Amino acid sequence: MARIELDGVTKRWGETVAVDDVTTQLENGEFVAILGPSGCGKSTTLFLLAGIYAPTAGTIRFDGMRINEVEPKDRNVGIVFQSYALYPNMTVMQNILFPLRFKSVERDDAHRQAQEIAALVQIESLLERRPGQLSGGQQQRVALARALIKRPNLLLLDEPLSNLDAILRLSMRTEIRRIQRELGVTTILVTHDQVEATTMADRIICMNGGRIEQIDTAENLYRKPNTTFVASFVGSPPINLIHGSVKDSRFVAGDRRLLLTGLSEAAHVSMGFRPERVIAAEDGMPAKITTIEPMGREILYGAESPLGFLRFLEAAPMPRFSLGEEVRLRTELEDALFFDQGNGKRIDNVSLNEFS
Amino acid sequence: MISAQGQRQVTNALVFLGPACAFLLVLLVFPIIVDLAVAFTDMEQTVIATELTTEQFRKLVKPNEEALLGFELRGSFYRALAKTAVFVFFTLTIFNVTFALILALTTTALPDWLGGTFRAIWLLPRMSPSVVYALLWIWVVDPTERGLLNQVLINVFGMEPVNLILHQPMAIIVVANGFIGASIGMLILTSTIRSIPEHLFHAARVDGAGSLSIIRHIVLPALRWPLSYITVFQALALMVSFEYIFLIMGPARSTMTMAMLAYTKTLAPQIGSGQYAYGAAITLILIVIGTALALLLYRLTNMKTLLTNPKIEVQ
Amino acid sequence: MTAASRDWESLARRSTRMRRINAGLLVGFLVIVSIPVLLPFFWVVVISFSARTGGVESLVLWKACSILVSAVFIYGAVHLAEKSVRRRLIAAGILIALSALGLFLTVGGDLHLQNYRFLVNPNLVEELRGAATAGGQFPWVWIAFINSLFVAATSTLFKVTVATLSGYYLSRFAFRGRSSFLQGLLILEVFHPWMLTIPIFLVIFWIGLLNNLAGPILVLTVLDLPFFIFIMKGFFDAVPWDMEMSAMTDGATRRQAFRLVVLPHVWAGIIAISVLGFIKGWEEYVFVTALRTGNSYWVMSTYLYYVADDVMGVDYGMVAAVSVFYMAPSLILYLFLQRHLTQLTFGGIKG
Repeated sequence: MARIELDGVTKRWGETVAVDDVTTQLENGEFVAILGPSGCGKSTTLFLLAGIYAPTAGTIRFDGMRINEVEPKDRNVGIVFQSYALYPNMTVMQNILFPLRFKSVERDDAHRQAQEIAALVQIESLLERRPGQLSGGQQQRVALARALIKRPNLLLLDEPLSNLDAILRLSMRTEIRRIQRELGVTTILVTHDQVEATTMADRIICMNGGRIEQIDTAENLYRKPNTTFVASFVGSPPINLIHGSVKDSRFVAGDRRLLLTGLSEAAHVSMGFRPERVIAAEDGMPAKITTIEPMGREILYGAESPLGFLRFLEAAPMPRFSLGEEVRLRTELEDALFFDQGNGKRIDNVSLNEFS
Repeated sequence: MISAQGQRQVTNALVFLGPACAFLLVLLVFPIIVDLAVAFTDMEQTVIATELTTEQFRKLVKPNEEALLGFELRGSFYRALAKTAVFVFFTLTIFNVTFALILALTTTALPDWLGGTFRAIWLLPRMSPSVVYALLWIWVVDPTERGLLNQVLINVFGMEPVNLILHQPMAIIVVANGFIGASIGMLILTSTIRSIPEHLFHAARVDGAGSLSIIRHIVLPALRWPLSYITVFQALALMVSFEYIFLIMGPARSTMTMAMLAYTKTLAPQIGSGQYAYGAAITLILIVIGTALALLLYRLTNMKTLLTNPKIEVQ
Repeated sequence: MTAASRDWESLARRSTRMRRINAGLLVGFLVIVSIPVLLPFFWVVVISFSARTGGVESLVLWKACSILVSAVFIYGAVHLAEKSVRRRLIAAGILIALSALGLFLTVGGDLHLQNYRFLVNPNLVEELRGAATAGGQFPWVWIAFINSLFVAATSTLFKVTVATLSGYYLSRFAFRGRSSFLQGLLILEVFHPWMLTIPIFLVIFWIGLLNNLAGPILVLTVLDLPFFIFIMKGFFDAVPWDMEMSAMTDGATRRQAFRLVVLPHVWAGIIAISVLGFIKGWEEYVFVTALRTGNSYWVMSTYLYYVADDVMGVDYGMVAAVSVFYMAPSLILYLFLQRHLTQLTFGGIKG
């Protein structure tokens, strides 16, 4: 197991910057998720760690030693690809044994290790099959076994669950976490699914456009997002963002004003609050229901209000409002967040009053 | 309604498939039948057949009367058979398969622009007109000191000039056809290597495999079918090809393969003697071998994807 | 873990070194095996611009070669040693300028366009040949050029049209006997017209098209036709069904859907088979002679063949010049469109 450091790591292809000045550390045995939309550079970061790509600038260290130019085969990392990348011409057993071919491991010993690993990921009965004869979930377990058999310093998981159906995904989540705990291997999971990241990882690195937006626990990403991007990417349904400006110590949005302190005059800011902070109440502002999305336990409404489009939740099963209905909405703003519209950063120490 | 649909079905078939059927039937299927018939006649220069006979085949298999006990393979047909076998075997194994594989493996290992440049160079012989290519070879192997090969031997290696046309005629046509033959295999194999998912290479590298192990465990298994396809198909193409042999060597006895024999006995400019029935008999043998290879080729083809049924039923 | 005690530094150094050595060996190998392929082509170009009547000036070739080969190797060394793209480009520019200067100084004086005078002089071959040999009249080269162009263009047009239409039908239409048709086509792929030269000659003779440009054009259309149909079928197979279905839901008939929606998606395939077809037609020699077209019509292949036959001993330079003139259209077409050729997938092979 190893301690991993990235220091100013950048990867460019010609003019395109895939990973931009990424700096972070992973502790020994930690499970970290990299969360971000597609094209944000999260998989590239993973391949940089595996040695498949070489960084354009910056340093990658394993246990304090620079490994930028070290070949993948010398790094001792295990990786599970999104497509699993099982060797189609080999049986499951041969697939699992493949990494040991290149280490001086005795045949019997190798087979014993393969059996152990197969037992760990519960595929003992499939060893003689070929990848083409396996289901998605089974292929995934084989890929995991192949990544783990060499006792890697670092385990990399590239969207491993995205090709599985919903129920299987749920059980593999628990399963991967169990195996990781059992082996104590430092692990990085790349995903665009926030539920995967929040349920599996100790810490989450939230990336966008090649840059790290925030590194934090799931709890903090939700409560204290550093940027508008994190605020709107983490959390489902997404946060309500109201764009406005500051005039006479008031936040002005549409024809509404909010008395507050702590913001500089004439700044363009966005205010964010979660849908659960919007409540239908008689003393609220007038709004008109425009969308209704049943989500099982709750119903998500969208409404046009003087502040703009707002989302709010109501308990299911029966919808209380219908499309086009006029309602009154109140916002509870004690934990509202403010962001600078220029750089997207959160502005702290804002205290506020009610809308007028 | 149904009849309108049926009518449209017929016109569609005529418009889309009709031209292909006409061309293939008249100039490919019909000639096969014609050949079958003519091979059993006595058609000669006058292009008139007077009787049905197996005389042509008797002429073919008849050993040279001067040879004792008929053991010596001096009859021109047996000699042509042997020459064809040597020519096809060496060209195929050295160039069309092995060298094609080496070129595909090495050029795909390089950056794209560089690998592409080398592939372009190797496609040059195929893309240049056959008469030019043959002329180049005639100049290269020219037995005097002006021949390019001899210039290189004399000036670079300090050796004596050689006369390949006299001493190694088979080597000339093997290499000349090989330079052309390697390119098709190279293209097919390159596109197969390209179609191997990139993640497999990444996974193998992470698993500790070096370049040679990657070739052995990832690339070669994927190339199995294309390689057999190339082997069968190119064997056939070489067996029937005579253009470069004729243009470089002329009707020399030293490189008279079966296809060359049929050509020179019939249609070759200035020397062809119009023994059409005799040529047709040789052609018939080539057709039989070709059909056998075609059946082999059949098994190498992915019938399932080839025959997948269309999804729209409207005409 | 033992990993911590590993010597990462030396591993990195070793792998970098190995990578360089491997790349160097690969390129070196490819350069060495490619020289025999490239050198004759280079030679014929050099001869065509430098040879004077009566012999081959080989010194020019070796001077030019030594300059160009060393320039290529120097650039290779620079490329391996230098990472920055800008400096590589600068180095390439300097090398190109230096070798151009070197070529000008060493062989510049020997270069001339005299060998290409057959392009402007209609009776040149006759004059050169003089009374040396008897035989048919040599035409002006442009007549052969236009005939070849006509043969290549017409046969390509036929072949591409036929292959595209039937490729689409086989890819998209259900009809009785479809699978037997495809299997039959697969078998026909094996019967190369070269194999059937004699019976094809007889068929064309009976149709009455010997001694005519139509003969080679028809045969060229059939040459590799099954193969081309499979290539086009492969391209059509790759067009998503959804597009066609949506076009038909929008009110198009099958033929309109084919013309308006599907055809624009297979241009790459059409260009690829057009290039291949044209190059085949442009080089055709076997059927031009076998079908006796050469008796009445000159094409480039027969022109070069007889020029080489008759003038060879006298004027290497002009034969070389005719060769260069003859192969230029093929090679230019190939170089400009080779991107499309490498995209060909070879349908039907088991994956």
